[in-house]
Amino acid sequence: MSTTAPSRTPGRGAAAPDRALRRRAPRPARILLYVGLVALMVVYVAPLLWALSSSFKDRSDIFAFPPRLIPDPATLDSYTTLLSTQPFWRWMLMSTVVATASTILTVFFCALAGFGFAKYEFRGKKLLFDLMFSSMAVPFAVIVVPLFVLVAKLGLANPFFALIVPWVAPAFGIFMMRQYTEQAVPDEILDAARIDGCSEFRTFLAVVVPLLRPALGALAVWAFLNTYNNLLWPLVIVAEPEYYTVPLGLQALFGAEGRQYDLVMAGSILATVPALVVFFVLRKQLVSGLTAGAVKG
Amino acid sequence: MSTTVTATSRVRADRRVWAPYVFVSPFFIIFALFMLVPVGAGVYLSLTEWAGLGSPEYIGLDNYARLLQDASFGVALANTAFYTVLALAVVLPTSLLIALALDAKGLRLRNLFRLTYFMPVVLSPIIIALIFGLIFDGRYGLLNAVLDALFGIPPVAWLTDPTLARVVVVVLVLWRWTGYLTIFFLAGLQNIPRELHEAAELDGAGVVRRFFAVTLPQLKPVTAFIAVTMLVNTAQIFEEPFLLTQGGPGEATLSISMFVYRAGFQRQELGYAAAAGVVMFLIVFTLGRIGIRAFGVGRTR
Repeated sequence: MSTTAPSRTPGRGAAAPDRALRRRAPRPARILLYVGLVALMVVYVAPLLWALSSSFKDRSDIFAFPPRLIPDPATLDSYTTLLSTQPFWRWMLMSTVVATASTILTVFFCALAGFGFAKYEFRGKKLLFDLMFSSMAVPFAVIVVPLFVLVAKLGLANPFFALIVPWVAPAFGIFMMRQYTEQAVPDEILDAARIDGCSEFRTFLAVVVPLLRPALGALAVWAFLNTYNNLLWPLVIVAEPEYYTVPLGLQALFGAEGRQYDLVMAGSILATVPALVVFFVLRKQLVSGLTAGAVKG
Repeated sequence: MSTTVTATSRVRADRRVWAPYVFVSPFFIIFALFMLVPVGAGVYLSLTEWAGLGSPEYIGLDNYARLLQDASFGVALANTAFYTVLALAVVLPTSLLIALALDAKGLRLRNLFRLTYFMPVVLSPIIIALIFGLIFDGRYGLLNAVLDALFGIPPVAWLTDPTLARVVVVVLVLWRWTGYLTIFFLAGLQNIPRELHEAAELDGAGVVRRFFAVTLPQLKPVTAFIAVTMLVNTAQIFEEPFLLTQGGPGEATLSISMFVYRAGFQRQELGYAAAAGVVMFLIVFTLGRIGIRAFGVGRTR
């Protein structure tokens, strides 16, 4: 649990010895602490379990009152109906392809730009950095209409292009990579690579990228989930059902007459499983990588 | 021999001069094409009337004048302000408190707790809206059933009472973001040099005093990051009210992003939607810049 970002602060690397300095809280306070933390855990877990339970209920039981915690009878009807009446796997494929492509490009561009901002001095750097950073505060609502017009009018309404390309260089990712690069990549190692005759780009690929691995993992998860879960932009730009992503497909079912709760519930569960798996596998990198930038100014 | 060396090193030096520009250029190309141009085009469109066919007709500031008189836009602004202020006011102290609890000495299951709180970031807004729709449903919801069973409280109209519906939207926002922001506070806490605490303790500062004199000031950058993230996210809120309540009852939960979506893509008033977008841009951007400046987020060392 000690691993936050690599830090320049001495003595904070290993958590165990310095924690020992602080006094243990007295017993009643500790009990209160655990009660609070467990209660909060219930707040986070219960809704998900409720969704899982509902997905195994008979359609008419989802809204049974009083609600049944355990599905009785338990049935896979929601799942089988969803998979037989909707092109759910096609939505999944579309979502996965778009999110994967977008993630690869995002990680590459952000790492590259982060490296540029972290390890070089150049004219206009401050201005460019401020410009990049400020772009985080540009709300999507201001660009959604003109971007839609632009993409549609320029004949770029190819769903793959429209869903991927505009989002592959997010300012947050660049900021995060720059912070991490500053901390994790010593100047000496760059100089050594240059003396060995590496070009700047080769230095980046061979020397910098391996040192950034934890942050790259975090950025990858962040980028993947952003695209995988995004609703508003696909809703605006994708008109043809054959290019629906999962959120779009589920939204269509959800918005349809009679709100097909059972199908949307089953679909949500199916779509969430891969995201949860990635999250669990990469949880450590995700936490340390994401927080690297924000902790120090 | 020596000339070759100087020649190569000059080539190297040249490369080091232009390399950073090449490295940051992908961002700026994307930024120019998909942000600067659209913002400019948005400002232009906001001065026109256009349904998407033919060419936009220039109408000056009429859209803005219409926005001023549009009660729906006023409601959307007020609702968005409500979401943002309430979310910020709750999320900052709450996530700090949770982070402090998770940082407690000798805490068992720390990773499990943190992971659980953090998990909603992987969920799509659809499933979040869906689950909470079931939980807060006025007639069949889980929450009302629990309240009735435990305390005998009569059913509460969570989603059909205007004020309660707004609060429920904020609850969704908080559920989704609090755990995520907590990990930033926790990382910030773990990053405070222990020498500072030791020194303060030697000077006789108690727990409370140390919290205000050492911990809080050291958390300033991460607090700023959290505040600005939350501000920018919540000011743009779309999915939660769109999916949970469709902006209703009436327009009680309508947000600015929903207003823009509705005007632009459901009513085909692209010029009017662009004008609303521009107004939102001015507000969010100004607040964001003030926040960034006030806290010095992202300053170059």
